[in-house]
Amino acid sequence: MPSLLRRVKSKMFIFAHRRTLTLLDGEYGSVFKGRSLDFDELRAYVPGDEVRDIDWKATARHGSPLVKRYVAVRRHSVLLLVDTGRTMAAKALSGESKKDIAVQAAGVLGYLACRHGDDVGLLHGNETTTRYLPPRSGEEQLERLLQELDASVALDGPASSLAEQLDYVLRYLNGRLLVVAVADEFMPDARTEGLMRRLRARHEVLWLTVRDANLTPVKEKGVTNSKDVGTGQGIPAPLAASSKIQAAYEAAMVERGEHRSSLFRRLGIAEEQTSGSADVLPAVFALLEKHRSGAPTARGTAGGGNRAG
Amino acid sequence: MELSYWWILPLAAAAVAISAWLYRRRRPPQTRPIAHGDRLTDLPEYQHALRRYRLRLLVAVMLGAVFLAATATAAARPILRTTEQPESRNRDIVLCLDVSGSMTSTDAAITTVFQELAKEFDGERIGMVIFDSSSVQLFPLTDDYDYAAEQLAEAKEALDSGTGSFFDGTWNGAGSSLIGDGLASCVQSFPDDAGAADAERSRSVVLATDNFLSGEPIFSLEEAAALAADKKVKVYALNPSDIDYGNQPDEPGAQLRAAAERTEGAYFTVDSAEAVPGIVGKVQDTEATSYRAAPQAVAADVPDWPLGIALLAGTGMLVLGWRLES
Repeated sequence: MPSLLRRVKSKMFIFAHRRTLTLLDGEYGSVFKGRSLDFDELRAYVPGDEVRDIDWKATARHGSPLVKRYVAVRRHSVLLLVDTGRTMAAKALSGESKKDIAVQAAGVLGYLACRHGDDVGLLHGNETTTRYLPPRSGEEQLERLLQELDASVALDGPASSLAEQLDYVLRYLNGRLLVVAVADEFMPDARTEGLMRRLRARHEVLWLTVRDANLTPVKEKGVTNSKDVGTGQGIPAPLAASSKIQAAYEAAMVERGEHRSSLFRRLGIAEEQTSGSADVLPAVFALLEKHRSGAPTARGTAGGGNRAG
Repeated sequence: MELSYWWILPLAAAAVAISAWLYRRRRPPQTRPIAHGDRLTDLPEYQHALRRYRLRLLVAVMLGAVFLAATATAAARPILRTTEQPESRNRDIVLCLDVSGSMTSTDAAITTVFQELAKEFDGERIGMVIFDSSSVQLFPLTDDYDYAAEQLAEAKEALDSGTGSFFDGTWNGAGSSLIGDGLASCVQSFPDDAGAADAERSRSVVLATDNFLSGEPIFSLEEAAALAADKKVKVYALNPSDIDYGNQPDEPGAQLRAAAERTEGAYFTVDSAEAVPGIVGKVQDTEATSYRAAPQAVAADVPDWPLGIALLAGTGMLVLGWRLES
């Protein structure tokens, strides 16, 4: 079985320069706002580090920016919360399978966590089942998670219902986690919204949305009919290509997008969208940035510790 | 209305059923799996368009079914079976004219009538024999009506003038008006019955004579009539001068009548040359009635309706297909 992690890594290195990766490391480190008081060492500032971590006095002495490092109180646990229902087997905006993008996104974040020595766990599932793989460290663990993820999404699988997984986290998982949710452009209903609000209150939440396929592809050769994996309803290509419907669809999509972003804003969850696997890295970067600079987080006391570096 | 190849219909139905079965069994066409289709399908514009699309598909399917049914029906060859009793047009007529001096005006009238009739003939054959003391075949049974008309015109001219080389060869024997011989040679001018193709043809002789015999014929009139009856030739005798004394059977007119009726023909007295067309018409009529062919079933193809419907349905499908594509 080909290594999924290697694929994730190679894609990361294709799409990112070394500098960007370092930047990502810094961004990732800043997700946890908690600081322990045990000073460890000073190190050179890396773009992406919190500006407030800069030791200005030392910087003045040294001539270049230096950042304070603290001893970690404890290792973090990153929980990849991924929807592996039927809808994730459908096409993404880029034309790839949404599953591949979800694997890529989970891989990138897991890899960042691995580099920081954090534990990575996976919670995924669908309408009928929810599977939990407790956080552990190491790239082998991450590879296993990615394989599990890759294997559980199928076109003939059960339907998606992220509320079940959110419920599972809230019900059974204790301790503060960095929850990285990877889902598609679904419209959360009232129950899901409530669960998301509660999740946001108890954990750090990053939300990566894999954008769904454009339903009105521009008419050209080879455009086939579409089929909704959720309802099994077909969408004839000639119908979707009509300009009148396209215009209405565009308008409806803009409205939907606004609705969604206002929802996430209201919940205080940092959300970013990715349309393809080439887009994952910038999206993750933007997500971390957004989370850091976003609304004041409801941080708990248990989540302290800085592992910047 | 019935179908000549009715078995095409179940065959077509079976073909349609098999193709429908194959269509169902085929690999499902490549579709693009997408999620949250309600983003599009909930739009009222889409729903409206979908309804129209479905309606068009439904109409297209119905047109296709109509097209298939119509072409299958046309392929099964719908025929209209009617019973017809066509007038027999396969008669053979031999004009048998006595060209003794007393007969020329009647002969001329008969040739005139047949000259006219020849123009309308279609399938009949006509021949002409003139006789006096010996007989001459002017032209044999032919369906070359132009030639016949030409010969009849010549005959008429000659008969009108009463002289000329036209009558050459009719005085070779002793005596004159050897009617029995004349009739016998007329009867002989019909081909022998052997030809199966000709077996169906009716045969008639229009015999114009006054039956004033002078001389010793080889065939008496009775013998000639027997010969005619033997060969199934009907003799229609036209007598311009029926001047019998009384009803004695040995009077010339009575003899002639007996001879004609023996062959199932008829006997007419011709009072004047003007009466000849009417008499010939009568002869034609009796011929026509007695030779009506047996009623026969005629099957005529009537593909107009199925093909017309198929054409309309096909056109409709083309228009719809174009609308669905665009």
